[in-house]
Amino acid sequence: MKKKGIIGIISGLIILGIILSVSLSSDSQSMNFEPRLYGQISTEMGSSIVGNLDAPVTIIEFGDYQCHQCYNWFHNTKPKIFQDYVDSGKVNFIFVDMAFLGRHSSIASQASYCAEDQNQYWQYHNTLYNLQESKIDGGWANSERLKAFAFSLGLDMTLFEDCLDSGKYQKRVTFNTSEGRQNGVSGTPTFFIISENQQEKIVGAQPFSVFKMVLDEMI
Amino acid sequence: MNSMIKTIFKIPLYLLFAILIFSIMTFVMLLISEYLFLEPYFAFHIPNNSEFGFILILILSGLASVVIPMNIYRIRVLSIGKQKISGGITGSFIGIISGACSCGPIGFAVISTFGSLGATATAFLTNFEIPIRIVSILILAITFFTTLKSLKVECRLDS
Repeated sequence: MKKKGIIGIISGLIILGIILSVSLSSDSQSMNFEPRLYGQISTEMGSSIVGNLDAPVTIIEFGDYQCHQCYNWFHNTKPKIFQDYVDSGKVNFIFVDMAFLGRHSSIASQASYCAEDQNQYWQYHNTLYNLQESKIDGGWANSERLKAFAFSLGLDMTLFEDCLDSGKYQKRVTFNTSEGRQNGVSGTPTFFIISENQQEKIVGAQPFSVFKMVLDEMI
Repeated sequence: MNSMIKTIFKIPLYLLFAILIFSIMTFVMLLISEYLFLEPYFAFHIPNNSEFGFILILILSGLASVVIPMNIYRIRVLSIGKQKISGGITGSFIGIISGACSCGPIGFAVISTFGSLGATATAFLTNFEIPIRIVSILILAITFFTTLKSLKVECRLDS
């Protein structure tokens, strides 16, 4: 009787283990990406890499589409960095979502990946930062507006709406946000500038002069 | 009006206090509103379209640096109640927190601690940063004029 009980418990545990491993593997299958590590930061769930893949330095931005300091950085600093460093192949750039500011932050990030399905990630990313309005959760990044942005970019609306409404990339955005937290991101935008031997963290929408000093030291 | 201000700020202690309040408030507000950065290098910049916010910070600090010492003078020298200093402190405090962008570390800490309630509160502060700063300037301006008026009356009564 006792033996039967022990066998029952063991077989129960085995079944539970099998169920858990199957569910975990289906999770990892739904986010099936090649590992892309920079220092301790896993970026494979973030954007694609912009610029020279073999560049000696990588800038990783953790940002939120509703963050107005990210907007400031996008408009004031990013163009100069791209002009002087990314376009010349010295630096490449990755955007990783840190969607924490409001309830529309996550869906805006998800929409960018739905656009990526149609090879328009960066166009959509730029649209969000160009059309950002100052009010967080004020409605400019709700589902309807995100679909309108997709329409204005000429995306296939059936595919885009299916993707956004199904929450296909919800886990991806959550993963990115938790990756940010794990790496000590406590505000947006936060940048990690990483070369083979060095890593520097820049917090906030800092001016080009700061990035220039850090990048010139690393290149 | 001028003579009353001159009387107070002729005293080195009050002048020093005013300079300290102005410097500390300006520094803190520039830091939390991300005009000033200390790491990895010291940097100061005013992003495009943020000039008005910068001017409001200077006005707010300037007013607080006059109003708070004036009220301390009232309390210490004339031994009057502490009611009016609360206007100066409230105005300054509201002005400071309005600049604490929800994307920054302060906002992040509030959101992480209080969840959606914190997000709503910080979103409110960010969405209405400029109007809140204007309101805090108004509070300080009203406190300034009422303090000045009562100082005139109280000094006359005192003499």
